[in-house]
Amino acid sequence: MSENIVKIRVGTASCGIAAGAGAVLDALREKAPASIPVEETGCLGYCFAEPMVEAITADGGSILYGKVAAEDADNILALGENKRFEVPEGRKKRELTKVMALAGRINPVDFDDYVAHRGYEGLKKALAMSPEEVVNEVKISGLRGRGGGGFPTGTKWSFLAAKKTPEKILICNADEGDPGAFMDRSLMESVPHQMLEGMLIAAYATGATKLFIYCRAEYPLAIKHLNIAIEQIYQHKLNVINGRELEIVIKEGAGAFVCGEETALIASLEGGRGTPRFRPPFPTDSGWKNFPSMINNVETYGNVPLILRDGGEAFASVGTEGSKGTKLFALAGDLKYPGLVEVPMGITLGEIVFDIGGADPENVKAVQTGGPSGGCIPVDKFDVPVDYDSLKALGAIMGSGGMIVIGKNRCMVETARYFLDFTHRESCGKCTFCRVGTKRMFETLERITRGEGVPKDLDFLADIGPKIKAGALCGLGQTAPNPVLATLRYFRNEYEDHVIHHRCSALQCSALVDLKIDKSKCVKCRMCIKTCPVGAISDDFVIDPDKCTRCDSCKEVCPKKAISRVGKGL
Amino acid sequence: MSNVEFILDGKTVSAAPGETILEVARRENIYIPSLCRDERISKNTSCFVCVVRDEKTGRFMPSCAACPAPGQRIDASSEQVQSMRRTALELLLSEHSGDCEAPCTMACPAHASVEEYVRAGRNGEWLKALQIIKQRIPLPMSIGRVCPRFCEKDCRKNIFGKPVAINEFKRLAADLYYDTYMEELPPSNGKSVAIVGAGPAGLSAAYYLRLKGFEVTVFEAMPQGGGMLRYGIPEYRLPKAILDRELAHFEKMGVLFKYNMKLGVNVSLDELKQNYDAVAICVGCWKASGLRCEGEELAVNGIDFLRKVAENGNTGENPGKTVVVGGGNTAMDCLRTAVRLGGSEVICFYRRTEKEMPAEKLEIAECREEGVNFEFLVAPVKLEKRDGRLVLTCRRMELGEPDASGRRKPVEVKGSEFETVCDTVIGAIGQKCRMPEGVKVNDFGYAGAEHGKAQVEGKVFAAGDCLSGAATVVEAVAGGRKLALEVDNFVTGAAMPEEHEVFVSRGRKWQGMSEKDVVFLRKDVSNAPRQELKFIPLEERKTTFKEVCSTMTPEQLAEEGKRCIECSCTDKADCKLRFHAERCHARVDVIKGEKLPPSYDNSHPVIIQDRGKCIKCGICVKTCKEVVNKTLLSAKKRGFFTYVGTSFDRTLPDSCAECGECIEHCPVGALDWRIKK
Repeated sequence: MSENIVKIRVGTASCGIAAGAGAVLDALREKAPASIPVEETGCLGYCFAEPMVEAITADGGSILYGKVAAEDADNILALGENKRFEVPEGRKKRELTKVMALAGRINPVDFDDYVAHRGYEGLKKALAMSPEEVVNEVKISGLRGRGGGGFPTGTKWSFLAAKKTPEKILICNADEGDPGAFMDRSLMESVPHQMLEGMLIAAYATGATKLFIYCRAEYPLAIKHLNIAIEQIYQHKLNVINGRELEIVIKEGAGAFVCGEETALIASLEGGRGTPRFRPPFPTDSGWKNFPSMINNVETYGNVPLILRDGGEAFASVGTEGSKGTKLFALAGDLKYPGLVEVPMGITLGEIVFDIGGADPENVKAVQTGGPSGGCIPVDKFDVPVDYDSLKALGAIMGSGGMIVIGKNRCMVETARYFLDFTHRESCGKCTFCRVGTKRMFETLERITRGEGVPKDLDFLADIGPKIKAGALCGLGQTAPNPVLATLRYFRNEYEDHVIHHRCSALQCSALVDLKIDKSKCVKCRMCIKTCPVGAISDDFVIDPDKCTRCDSCKEVCPKKAISRVGKGL
Repeated sequence: MSNVEFILDGKTVSAAPGETILEVARRENIYIPSLCRDERISKNTSCFVCVVRDEKTGRFMPSCAACPAPGQRIDASSEQVQSMRRTALELLLSEHSGDCEAPCTMACPAHASVEEYVRAGRNGEWLKALQIIKQRIPLPMSIGRVCPRFCEKDCRKNIFGKPVAINEFKRLAADLYYDTYMEELPPSNGKSVAIVGAGPAGLSAAYYLRLKGFEVTVFEAMPQGGGMLRYGIPEYRLPKAILDRELAHFEKMGVLFKYNMKLGVNVSLDELKQNYDAVAICVGCWKASGLRCEGEELAVNGIDFLRKVAENGNTGENPGKTVVVGGGNTAMDCLRTAVRLGGSEVICFYRRTEKEMPAEKLEIAECREEGVNFEFLVAPVKLEKRDGRLVLTCRRMELGEPDASGRRKPVEVKGSEFETVCDTVIGAIGQKCRMPEGVKVNDFGYAGAEHGKAQVEGKVFAAGDCLSGAATVVEAVAGGRKLALEVDNFVTGAAMPEEHEVFVSRGRKWQGMSEKDVVFLRKDVSNAPRQELKFIPLEERKTTFKEVCSTMTPEQLAEEGKRCIECSCTDKADCKLRFHAERCHARVDVIKGEKLPPSYDNSHPVIIQDRGKCIKCGICVKTCKEVVNKTLLSAKKRGFFTYVGTSFDRTLPDSCAECGECIEHCPVGALDWRIKK
């Protein structure tokens, strides 16, 4: 059958490589006849099915294979039935691929491939317009910043455009720091030209003279692809805007979460310590080395070529009143299909979590949006449309697009503790409320999950949380208490269980649980005894709670599921 | 650009272009605390204690950086704003690790400036030492001899061995200069105070009232002054000649003493109230508690026993075989006095164990040296006369659950009775107050003042044992001073001196600390063993009432003074964090949590950097960079673990001593000169 195949694509974005795409690629290249090119491509977003291979047939058809290994090469080349991948029905119905349309469909570092897929059409159109018209087109589109703040992009552009200084700076925030978020990485790895095209359009519209991409050093593949793409832009002189050759500089960040905050990012870009400063002045008035500077994130720039290519109104036809276009989400947590998905604004949380993510409605407790800066939304509010304002009203935020599904087996106090652990360590240490406040909140949550909490601790959290939000200098501190305040708001009963009864109803907090063997189910196979790393299980199958470390090894190894977590001392 | 009009706390004010809300508030005399703002450097916006609120949006902003918008309504003083500031300060206090005061001073009931007088003594400035001591302790000769040394118990030198011999500094300073030094007295303020009782509390009150210009008359029931110092504490601990010298000074100061004047007998309270602007009741606790057993009337009570010996010029009948019941300091005094009177066998019966004994460890040790035996966990059941001798029946006890005082309660062991045949039984199990009629009392028979106050009612005040219950001399002295300040406030309307409320401490008790928690400001802190007191020969101790040990020499104490670590903060006088915390009523330990591990750098000859105190305001880093044009300091690590270090971990150059810009502007004591002023 392999005579039908005209091309093979292997997804080798970071997620694919991590899943073993390298070996698959090698195997296919070795076995494929010379007539069938085996190309690398980006990410389709089906993380749960990596590594992925696409076979393109002569009739233009596409056959996807998922979870492939090197030994599947023959099967793929024969267009065998084994490991064929079908996009889940719910996802097919709900997703709307615009920004990511080319991801996984083209060779990321092939300039011609991008152009062949209507790449740089937007730039071309923009250059034929006046800069004011371009800004206006972006305003018409209703695009809002995709980094989390949601500030209207066109308005921001108009601020910089209005500056009459000879030098203006354009910055792309590619310091995607939320744990579990990888929308920007995927876009940069898969379609690096798209974001760069957006930046060039912005440079033309605003009169910017120097372009920076501030990207975290943990994204080596994205940086590699961007560097290649920039070289290609130079070759094709696309960086010549308004008769001036613009420099595009990639700065690698050292991985501090706070450097995603614009003033901290600029400080880091200048070579200083990545700490934020008070605004005003806003960067568009005084940014990098005091030049007017504008910052947009990767996904925002990624939307721009589409707006120019198809027109602002076409863009605005998707979405809700206040939130236009599509949004990328990185789905993770307790669901069947983790991965990256693009959906229209206004889709409900339930549609994302259940239809696309395939989560089990019986087992979902809440979803955390906006990563550690966001808040959790309980399952009974899943009919809420996903847009900037609705999520904020629920005490969460849109954020940059991380979405973590929390199953019923998760303790919400522990969940809040987990996020605070991240934010308090990522605080830059400059302002009191964030530096000490988040630390004290974290310590309190630690105490509660250890079973040492007292009811007064809840009052402390409820008092200090809003104060940190109101008093912290930058977005990190201003949002850090969100996971705690949201869980306190929707799951106060779980907190009370911990501090009053010293119980963890989800049986997750190890200090509050014991492991117990159900003697009626036990078949005395001794697997648990053999597995226990600390010798806590006696020959008559009793677990010594003083020795047990709650590692769950026995529970996992028991063939009869006779071992379970129970409340401490029960 | 023109000025901006806006509304600050309801008042329309004007800001120059670029002027911050904080600057305008300062001009308008509106108090906004601030720690991280320094006009010479760019804005820090770190501490956030300067927050104000935009009334329209409800948003808080740092007033040190925010410039007002035209017409903006700024709230700089509401409870909401103050609550935010308080929390910011309490968060800073929760990570701040220093010692607003040295633990010795904190422990001293009179709050004497221990570190300062020890330093003066070490430097040979004994008159200065005495002046510092007398600011809080007007009876240094007595207290230098009899104080139970609360200061020494909390001395951080305990971590390394024995505490600094602090009390000896008082004793020597007083021995050298007490007779010749005279305070400058202000002219009379025309007001008069009657003090009832010439004991430590009354004398202390008299002293501080005289220093405020009051005319003071002391009414004393006994023929001589000193109270328990004379009639309770035996000669061998406090020679009467010394006490006489101490009292003479009060007469020199113009305090009028009227002896043999017992309130309610020779003079009435109403009379005093009529003739004086205030009356201070300092009558002490002179009523002994009985043995609380059958035949208790056969026992002598400890206070009477000691008083009689004192009245008879330190003589008395040989008590023979003596049993003293009780474990306090009075019991120890009775035991040692009985030894000196020739008691053939002297035994102490105490119902708990040695660990629970309220008497000073030193006193117990000295008792043992003098041959006293101790019998623990015994309580009297019956006392009777048999064949001309006394027979004391006791029961054995065992310790049960802790009681209200936290000590384990003794429980009787059934059938454990035993008899002790002896000649004298002395009961020293507690003292009560016999309050003169007309003075309001509380349920326990002590002066009925509000907690923490000396004023009882109207112009009647009280201090000392009759207010607090039987306590120590130094506590009575502290109470006397407090009474004087309250009387001054009551009579003349003088403001009460401001007392510090915020005391950050690395560890109030040294028991929880290790050597690395201690900061060494001086490099010459001595590790030599504690200087020991020289005692007279044991035989002389047991047979005479001579003072048991002599005053240390200036040379000895110069050495001893070098052992002092000087624990208190270099910045205790002008710490901005403490100032604003007190002014904003922020409290220590409301918010608790981890502090940075102790770490300080004293490698520079004149500069000390103490990271635990740093509030990460960034002033020093920016001052070095922006004002001095060097970059010797930098912020390191992140989040809670941020600290200010030297760039590339190099040591600060010696030339920093000439600049010192960062030190002068450090709001706390994190960067400071190594010399205490």
